[in-house]
Amino acid sequence: VLKWVSQVGLLIIVVSAMVFMATQAGSNLQRTNTPTGFDFIGDSVGIQIFEGIDTRPETGGRALWAGMVNTLRISGAGIVAATILGVFVGLARLSGNWLVRKAASIYVEMLRNIPLLVQIIFLWGVFIGLSPLTQDVGPIRGWLHITNTGISMPRVFGLNGSFQWLAFMVFGAIAARFVYRARVHKQDQTGATTYPVLSAVGVLAIFGAIGWVVHPIMGFLGPVFGAAASIIGSIPEGLLQVILSVAAVGAAALWVRRFLQSMTSGGGRAKLIDDDYFRIVFAGVAALIFVALVFSLPGLSSWLLNSGRDLFELLDRRFGSGNGGRPFDGKRPDLVQPGNFLNYGPAGLTLTPSFAAVFLGVVLYTSAFIGENVRGGILAVAKGQTEAAGAIGLSRGQSLRHIILPQAFRIIMPPMGNQYLNLTKNTSLAIAVGYSDLVQVGTTVYNQTGKTLSVVAIWMMFYLSVSLTISVVVNFVNLRLKLVER
Amino acid sequence: MTETIVEAPKESKGPPRTAANSWKEWVRENLFSSIFNGVLTVVFGVATILVLRRLLAFMFDHEREWAATSTNLRLLFAGTYPQEQFIRVWVCVGIIGVLLALTTAVWDVSTRFRVSAIVQRGFIVATIIVAVAILAPFSTSARIWYFVAGAAVLAVSLFVRGAVAKDTTVPGLAVVATGVALPILSLWVIPYGHNALSNGVLIAEAGTVARTTSGPWTVVLILTIGVYLAVNKLVPAESRDRLRRPVIGLWLLLPLVTVFFILRDPDFDYGHIATTEIPIFLAYSIVGAALLYWLTDTDRGEVGRVTAAVVLLLGLATFLTPMLQLIRILMLTLALFALAAPTFSGVAAARRRYALTWVLVVLGMVWFVTAANSPSTVDTLGDWFPSGFSITLIVASFTLFLSFPLGVILALARTSKMPIFRVMSTTYIEVVRGVPFITVLVFFVIMVPLFLPPNMELSRLAAVVIAFTLFGAAYMAENVRGGLQAIRVGQHEAAEALGMSGLQKTVFIVLPQALRVSIPPLVGQAIGTFKETSLLAIVGVFDFLFIARTLISGQTFFLGVVQENLLFISVVYWLFAYQMSKASQRLEKQLGVGER
Repeated sequence: VLKWVSQVGLLIIVVSAMVFMATQAGSNLQRTNTPTGFDFIGDSVGIQIFEGIDTRPETGGRALWAGMVNTLRISGAGIVAATILGVFVGLARLSGNWLVRKAASIYVEMLRNIPLLVQIIFLWGVFIGLSPLTQDVGPIRGWLHITNTGISMPRVFGLNGSFQWLAFMVFGAIAARFVYRARVHKQDQTGATTYPVLSAVGVLAIFGAIGWVVHPIMGFLGPVFGAAASIIGSIPEGLLQVILSVAAVGAAALWVRRFLQSMTSGGGRAKLIDDDYFRIVFAGVAALIFVALVFSLPGLSSWLLNSGRDLFELLDRRFGSGNGGRPFDGKRPDLVQPGNFLNYGPAGLTLTPSFAAVFLGVVLYTSAFIGENVRGGILAVAKGQTEAAGAIGLSRGQSLRHIILPQAFRIIMPPMGNQYLNLTKNTSLAIAVGYSDLVQVGTTVYNQTGKTLSVVAIWMMFYLSVSLTISVVVNFVNLRLKLVER
Repeated sequence: MTETIVEAPKESKGPPRTAANSWKEWVRENLFSSIFNGVLTVVFGVATILVLRRLLAFMFDHEREWAATSTNLRLLFAGTYPQEQFIRVWVCVGIIGVLLALTTAVWDVSTRFRVSAIVQRGFIVATIIVAVAILAPFSTSARIWYFVAGAAVLAVSLFVRGAVAKDTTVPGLAVVATGVALPILSLWVIPYGHNALSNGVLIAEAGTVARTTSGPWTVVLILTIGVYLAVNKLVPAESRDRLRRPVIGLWLLLPLVTVFFILRDPDFDYGHIATTEIPIFLAYSIVGAALLYWLTDTDRGEVGRVTAAVVLLLGLATFLTPMLQLIRILMLTLALFALAAPTFSGVAAARRRYALTWVLVVLGMVWFVTAANSPSTVDTLGDWFPSGFSITLIVASFTLFLSFPLGVILALARTSKMPIFRVMSTTYIEVVRGVPFITVLVFFVIMVPLFLPPNMELSRLAAVVIAFTLFGAAYMAENVRGGLQAIRVGQHEAAEALGMSGLQKTVFIVLPQALRVSIPPLVGQAIGTFKETSLLAIVGVFDFLFIARTLISGQTFFLGVVQENLLFISVVYWLFAYQMSKASQRLEKQLGVGER
C-alpha cells in the first residue's frame, strides 16, 4: 500500500509541477506576446534552403519537410558508409601487419577523442579553402573534382523506366532465393560444392538483363496503383477513424489475451502481481488514449488518407503505362553546370561543401567507434573457436568467414544500433556549417515566425520516430541473430 | 604521453638477440610475412607518407598564421577575465596542482618505468623529428636544425642505453614530473617569443617570455612537487589511507570553491551574513543534527516515521508563506535526511557520522547559496565571468557532479518493481536518448526563461548546465543500469536474509557493487560530456570553440583565421580526452571488471 501511495504521490507531484510550469509558460508567453501554434506549417514563411528537394518552399511545413529529407538522406548514406569503413578499421586494428595495425589505432584514437563539431567545422574550412571549380582540376580529371564547390563525381540515376525495372526485379529476387535454397539443399544432401551464392547472383543478373529490355510489361501496375489511389481517396474520414479505433482496441485485447495465456501453464494461471495488473490496465489505457486521439484530432486521419492517396498517385505517375528505353543512365560530372542534389539533373553528382563536411565528419567519427565495436566483437569470440576451426583443417580465411564472424556479428550488432542512432543524431550538428538539415531549417523557421516551442516539438517528434525506427530494425535483427537457447 | 611508456615493453618480445638479426626478423614477421602483407605494407606506407606530407604542408604553409593562436592563448583559455585580477586564475591552477600532488601521494602511485622503454620512446621521437624534417616544406637551414635536433635526441637515447644496465627502472612519477618541469623551466631559458594583444595593438617581442607567464607556472610547479614530497615524508604510509576520503571530498568541492569563491570573488554583505545566514546555519545544523541523531536510533520505529513525515509537511508548508529560498531548501533537505534516517540507523558511531554529514551538507549549501547570490566584483564581457577553455571545464564538471545522483535515481527507478516509477523513468530516458542534444540545448536556452515565475532569473550558463545535466542523467542512468543488472541475485537474497530493508539493501549492498562495475562506462560518458561542451558554441556561449572560431577570426589582426585555432583546440581537446580514456583503461584493469 505504501508503495502505491508513494508512486501515485510522486506522479501527482510530477504532473502538478508540469502543469505549474505549463501555466507559467502560458502566462509568460502572453505577457511577452510570443506567438505559439502550428499555423506556420500551412502559411508562407518566405525562406530559402540551400539544397534539397525544394529550395524555395512555399510553406513552413514544406520547408521542414525538405529539412527532414535532407537529414534522412545524410544519415542513411552516412550509416552505410560508416559501417563499411568501420568494419575495415576494426579488421585493420587486428591485422598481423604492424604498420596497418598502428595506422588504424592512431586513426581511432585521434578521431574519437576530438569533438565531432570541431572536426566538422575544420573539414568545412578545408573545403572552403580549396580552389574554385573553373577548370578540370581533378584529382581524377573528368571523373572526380574536389573544389570549393564541393565534391563532384559520376552518378547513376534512374530514368522513367526504373520503377518498372525494379518491379520486374522483385520476380528476379524471388527466383534467386528459390535457386539459392535449392543449391544449399543439394549441397547438404550430396556434399558436392554447388556455389549457392554465385548461382543466386547469376540468376539476379540474368533477370536484370532481361528486365533491361522487357521492363515495359510491368507498366500495367500504373493503372492498378491509380485505382488504389482513387479508392483510398474515396474513403470517408469517419470510416477510417472507426477502423483505427477498432484496430487499437482489438490490438490491446489481443495483447492482454496473449499475456494471460503466457502466464498460464498446465498447472493453471500464475498468481498475478501488482505489476501484471498494471500492465493489463496500461494496455487498456493506451488503447483508449489512442482512440481519443483519433477522434479528437480529425487532421490526423485525413492526413493519413491524403498521404496514402498521394503515395499511390506518385507510383501511378512513376510507372506511367509502359515507359520504354533504358531504366538507368550514368553521367560524369559536368564542368559547366555541376549537377547536384537540388535538381537531380542529368549530370554527375556534386556534394556541397556543407554536405561533404557533415557527411565526412560523421562517417569518420562513427567509423572509429564502429571499428572498436567490431574489434571488441571479434576478440570476444573464444580463442578455442579459432583453434577448433584450425584443427578441422579450415584455412584462416575460412575460419574467419564461417566460424569467427558469424559469432562476432551477434556481439557487434547491439552496439552497432547505438552507433547508428548516434550518427543520425549527430547529423544535427550540420547547423554549424549551414547544411540544410531539419535543425538548420527549423532554426530559420523559428527565427522568421518566433514559434520556437512548436519547432522544437516537431524536431523532437521527428528524431524520436527516427530513433524508434532504427531501434526496431536493430532489435529485429538481434532477435533473428540470437542464439536459440533451451 | 609519459604514462603509456608502461605498455611499451610488451612489444619487445622474446629473448634478446643481436641487434641486426632481431631487426630483420621483426620486419619480416610484422611487415612482410606474406605477399598480401607485403603489398599492404607498401600501400599503407605510401599512403601514410602522403597524408603526413599533406598535413605538414598544411601546418607549415606560409599562409598559416600561427600567431593568431599564440597571441590569443590567454583569450582561448581564460576568456576575457580582467588582467589585473588574473592572479585568481593562477590560484585556481595552483589549487589543482596541489590536489593532484595530494592525490598521487595519498594513493601511492609507485609505477616504475623501464629505462629501455623510455629509450625506445626516445628513438620514436627522433624518428618523428627526422620524418618531419624530410616531409615538411622547410627551408634548408630549418631542415638542418631539425636534423640536428633529431640526432641529439638519438644520441642521448643511445648514450642512456649504453650507460645503464639492461633492467634498470626509474620511478614513473619522477619521469612524469621531469616531463612537466622541463617545458616550464625552459620558459626561463629558451626565447619562445612573446605575443600579446594590448589595447588592439599587436606586441611581438622576439626572445622573451613574459614573467607573468613563467613566474606563476614555476610557483605552481614548486608548490606541487613540494606538497607531494611533504606528504610523502611527513605522513606515515599506513595512515595515508585515512586521507583518501578527505581528498575525494576536496576534489568534489574544487569546482564550487574555484568558480564561486575564487574566480567570482563575491562581494559579501557581512552584516547580512551575520544577521541571517549564520543564524540559519546554526539553527539548522544544531537542531537538525540532534533530530537526526535521535531518529537514527534502531528502536525509534513508528514515532520516527511520523516525525519524519511531520518534517516533510513542514518543508512543504514553507511554500505557503513568502520566506527566504534558503530556508525552504534546507527544510526539504532535512525532510529527505529524516525520511532516510531508518536506513542509516545503527551503533552510536554510525549515528554520529550521519549527523555530521548533515552538518557538512548544511554548511555547503548555506555557503554555496550565499556565495552564488552575492554580486561579483569581477566584471568581464559577456554573460558570465569565465569563458574559453575554463567554461568548458566548468560546465563539464558541474554536469558530471549534478547528473550523477540524478542518473543513479533514474536507474534505480527503471529497475525497480514499482510500475509507475519504472514507466516514468523509462519514458524519460528513452525520450532524452532519442533526440539530439542540440535540440535540448536550444529548447533550454530559449524556453527556460519562459517556464520560470516572472520574478526568477536564470543566467544562460545556468540554463545550459541544467540542459546538460538533464540530458547527461539519462545516459548516466543507462550506464548505472548496466551495473545494477550485473549484480547477482544471491547478493539481493543475502541482504534480505540479513533482514535489511529495501533501501538499506540498495544503499549498502547493491549500489556500491553496481557503481564499481559501471566506473569504466561512466568515465567514457565523462569524456563524451567533455567533448559535447563544444556545442555551447552553437548557442553563443563564449566557450573554447566559439572563441577559436568566431572571436579570434573577428580580430582586426587575424581576420578570417580559423583553421589554425581549430587545429590547436583539437590538440587540447584530444590531450584531455585521450588521457581520460587511458585512465579509464587502467582503472578497468585495476578493478578487474569482467574477470570475476
